[in-house]
Amino acid sequence: MRRRVFITGIGLVSPHGTQPEAVFERLCAGQSAIRKLRSGTEDLGADCLLAPSEFSIEGVIPKTQSFAMDRVAQMAVVAAHHALHRAGIVREEEAPVPSEAGVYFGCGLGGSQAIQDAYRTYFERRSRRPKPTTVPLIMANAPAAHISMRYKLQGPSLTYSIACASSAIAIGEAFRAVRDGYVDSVLAGGAESMMNDGTLAAWEMLGVLAKEHPEGAAASSRPFAVDRSGFVLGEGAAALMLESEESMRTRGAAPVAELVGFGCASDAHNLTQPATGGQAQAMRKALADAHLAPERIGYINAHATATPAGDNVEIDAIKQAFGAHARALSVSSTKSMHGHLVGAAGALECAITALALRHRRVPPTAFLRNQDPACDLDCVPCVARDVPDLEFALSNSFAFGGTNATLILRRA
Amino acid sequence: MSTFAEIQAMLTSKFDVKPELIQPDAKLVDLGLDSLSIAELIFDIGEKYDIEIPEDDLEFQTSLKDAVALVDKLRAAKAA
Repeated sequence: MRRRVFITGIGLVSPHGTQPEAVFERLCAGQSAIRKLRSGTEDLGADCLLAPSEFSIEGVIPKTQSFAMDRVAQMAVVAAHHALHRAGIVREEEAPVPSEAGVYFGCGLGGSQAIQDAYRTYFERRSRRPKPTTVPLIMANAPAAHISMRYKLQGPSLTYSIACASSAIAIGEAFRAVRDGYVDSVLAGGAESMMNDGTLAAWEMLGVLAKEHPEGAAASSRPFAVDRSGFVLGEGAAALMLESEESMRTRGAAPVAELVGFGCASDAHNLTQPATGGQAQAMRKALADAHLAPERIGYINAHATATPAGDNVEIDAIKQAFGAHARALSVSSTKSMHGHLVGAAGALECAITALALRHRRVPPTAFLRNQDPACDLDCVPCVARDVPDLEFALSNSFAFGGTNATLILRRA
Repeated sequence: MSTFAEIQAMLTSKFDVKPELIQPDAKLVDLGLDSLSIAELIFDIGEKYDIEIPEDDLEFQTSLKDAVALVDKLRAAKAA
């Protein structure tokens, strides 16, 4: 028997802030959180386009836990904290009560700063003694583990590492686990923070990052535009409390949105170049999973990272999956404003999609002044749009390595 | 600052150990730290004074008084 699954609380540590409603407002206003920052030192470093996230662990993570947490895990716990509070599961001033809830989290890399620190000890100091917490700082399952520990969540704590699709798949698998009765509630989401200079240098060499646009650093992430040049790395965490309908109603909680479909398919094609077939298949599978005809979808939060090769492939895949209805869709990429959060991208964008349904308002693709003719769908250029009859929306996350994930949400 | 006071500062600032627990006769295990925290503390002490603390000489059951004595001994040996 398939149970209905609802999102009952959202927590964010994002380039636009930590309050979901304020974040959504800023996105709808077309505000970019992208900046040019100095990475590394004067003699070994570079100016980089980045979407950093500010946050505080004060009052959320005790020092007895935080000393063994890299930035990525700290962001994850802060996002989880807010999601659990907003869902009414953890209350202010009260110690968390042990529960059977699971944690399904995406993380692409892990404790990136700790990796760099450990190698510095080895190569610069010629020492075989990095700090004792090095292994737990680095391990990619640290975010999920720390959430589980901090909030006494005793169900399965799982980490999905699938590059740009990590947290979309974590949410999708959590959705299936709750729907199919394996667990009644899951804190699902993702976290990523890899803004240490060594890692940024590696990303630069891959040739996928945006160049600074003549209009300025903030305007450099330009999905679907003729002058797009690549993506801007972001960092952050997003946590969504998922519950079965019964769990939600028993607690008297209110839903933010409902999860209704998840589809996943691989390109089996190329390490960094996407293919339409696998993307279209993920979308078709999600629609089938949700028992929805394509015409029911009103909005797609696209994966579109603003790489020259990628955006048009997604547009073609949408046309394949949706047929004639593709022309009636609103398709926007909020990466134009918050950048690419990699392991946390799917979760942040799922949260944004949930808010779009709640408000019946879709955020724009910012800076889309000269649309690429090869991306010829309605990409909501520059200005947010009210969609009064918005009922179902879809969020895409397509990863390096060719794994494609699609989530479908319903307004609650 | 005395070695004891410096270690006391490390305990309060890095691990939020309650000041009233930090007594000379208190064992490391009594300070509310787990094994990973103690390993990190020993590492930090070694880094701070640039000394190498032999693995078995400083552990759970060591009192702060004895820990301070060991650190002072190692520092003196290094200076000599």
